[in-house]
Amino acid sequence: MIAFENVHVRFGTAEALSGITMMIEAGELCALVGPSGSGKTTLLRLVNRLVAPSRGRVFVRGEDVARLDPAKLRQSIGYAMQSVGLFPHRTVAENIATVPRLRGWNAPRIAARTAELMALLHLDRSLAGRLPRALSGGQAQRVGLARALAADPDILLMDEPFGAVDPITRRELRTELRRIHQATGKTIVLVTHDPDEALELGTQLVVLRGGRVVAAGPAASLIAPGADAFARQLLGGTQPGLRRFALLPAAASVVPEAPPQGAPELPAEASLADALSLMAESGATVLACAGGSLHAEAVLRQA
Amino acid sequence: MSTTVLLPAAVAFAGMLLPLPWLVVAPNRLLPGTSISALATLGALLPVVALLTLAALPRRVPAPAAACSALAAAVLLAGLTGQAAAQALQGLAAAARAGVGFGFWAALVGSLGLCAARGASLGALGRLLLLLTVAASFALLLASGALHSLSLLVEYRVRAEAVQAAILQHLVLSGAALMAALLLAVPLAWAAFRQPRLAAPIGAVFATVQVVPALALFALLIPLLAALLASFPALRELGLAAIGPAPAVMATAAYLALPLFRSLLGGLASADPDAVAAARAIGMTEARLTAEIRVPLAMPVFAGGLRVAVVQSIGLMTLGGLVGAGGLGALVFEGLAQFATDLMLLGALPIVALALAADTAIGAAEQRA
Repeated sequence: MIAFENVHVRFGTAEALSGITMMIEAGELCALVGPSGSGKTTLLRLVNRLVAPSRGRVFVRGEDVARLDPAKLRQSIGYAMQSVGLFPHRTVAENIATVPRLRGWNAPRIAARTAELMALLHLDRSLAGRLPRALSGGQAQRVGLARALAADPDILLMDEPFGAVDPITRRELRTELRRIHQATGKTIVLVTHDPDEALELGTQLVVLRGGRVVAAGPAASLIAPGADAFARQLLGGTQPGLRRFALLPAAASVVPEAPPQGAPELPAEASLADALSLMAESGATVLACAGGSLHAEAVLRQA
Repeated sequence: MSTTVLLPAAVAFAGMLLPLPWLVVAPNRLLPGTSISALATLGALLPVVALLTLAALPRRVPAPAAACSALAAAVLLAGLTGQAAAQALQGLAAAARAGVGFGFWAALVGSLGLCAARGASLGALGRLLLLLTVAASFALLLASGALHSLSLLVEYRVRAEAVQAAILQHLVLSGAALMAALLLAVPLAWAAFRQPRLAAPIGAVFATVQVVPALALFALLIPLLAALLASFPALRELGLAAIGPAPAVMATAAYLALPLFRSLLGGLASADPDAVAAARAIGMTEARLTAEIRVPLAMPVFAGGLRVAVVQSIGLMTLGGLVGAGGLGALVFEGLAQFATDLMLLGALPIVALALAADTAIGAAEQRA
């Protein structure tokens, strides 16, 4: 879906990205994570040609982006960012309708799509006629996301989209994004400096440092013992083992034998970290889970 | 009570009560005359006018009533003075004139100012209604013939066609200067927006023009244009002449360029950078971005500059009278040359009225947008 082929980006004398070669498959939610200045935003902006590589090539849907019309390319890819950038002189509905209008959709189709998106993002219909200055931070982020999704792009780029909202709204918006990703199957590239956000949302993680990819893969594999030390430190913090357990399902370690009398019950969708927590709390070494038993030894064997 | 109410009231009372010339009766339009005070002109009705003015002051008087009371005072002042002028002229030679003096102007401007100050607290519709009432009252007063004998109206009757033509000409010249200034400022503001290092030198050139006294610039353009026409006689065929509208429009446009340039540049730069970044990221071309985002967001700032430029254009064009461009300035300077105050006022009053009207109209358009 998106491929980088030995891409270098140079701003003046500083090299922002050096020799990036990677693929993002269709339907993935790929989180680009790394400290500030690591080049994650630059990598994101290569996809819709907001940044041009000084060497190497970027392919989107199999086509070299350097050969595509930048305006058309950008209209075909959703884009949402931390500062949102809603147009202050246009209403919520007009903001959302921007790309469909640029693409020449007719009025009834635009109106229907706008209503559909406002429902998808839980935006009250009464907000449609408001100007952005009358919105709360969370509402503005939802409108920004609706605008990005308006023309139903198969690719969505998000640059720290939840950075400027309060923690409760951020949690809501993350849940929403995961729901939208699962419901629509879009390819989403998400830039974040928050390891928790990357772990929670990303089906694939790419860890960047100093303009290079230091690790890439599913979340759990990047915290596993033997993974890149920087990625493990960044994502795992001081408890990489627990962080990794939080990503692994407990059900995979359950054995089909009857649990002992009075064993504490663990929900079927719980993670290994949930299992450890319950054991620590109850003192039990065997838990009842999904009709079988979960032994402490089986949990630790996953390490 | 706020100063916006007290100040016009003080001016009105000063005009009515101080021993200032109210009505000036002269043997003809050029000779100085003898002054008559307010009390001698209005007699026992002066306290009535003063009470109407006073009634507009207290805060517990509702704003519409207060504004109407002040307006009634102004209308009564003008009507009674017109009648008094007719009486004063009875038995005098046909050339005799009765003009209003400084005291009258102070009282009229003061009471109308008070009317406006009390009316300012009304809603948009109320203000419009008040404005229409003021205009209708004075139109009726003029139509009734009550002011017929005042020297300003006598002068107007003699010069009616010339004054009407001058107003039209003044508007055309001011409009042309504004157009010329826009043609200069819009591309330069765009260039300075795209190339920020151009902004300082262009701004400096326009600012330098402001330092040159307007009178000097108007006069300077005549020999410059004459020299240009001598070198390129073909320009003469295009209707360009060293005296007349060309130097007046060019000089006025030179002064309008700065407010237009500054406000356009400021407006373009004021567009929210995040909105511009987002517009680009979702696929707007530069041309669309300018038309749909930058220009609409620049309009509020630009409207401020346009307002200054329009008022300046109407005011500065007065000097066009000196370089043969005509317009209301020609009447003002003719009046100055003849020491004929009424003729000067015939030129000056429409200039003030046009400038105020243009300012109000753009201000109203700005609020609606």
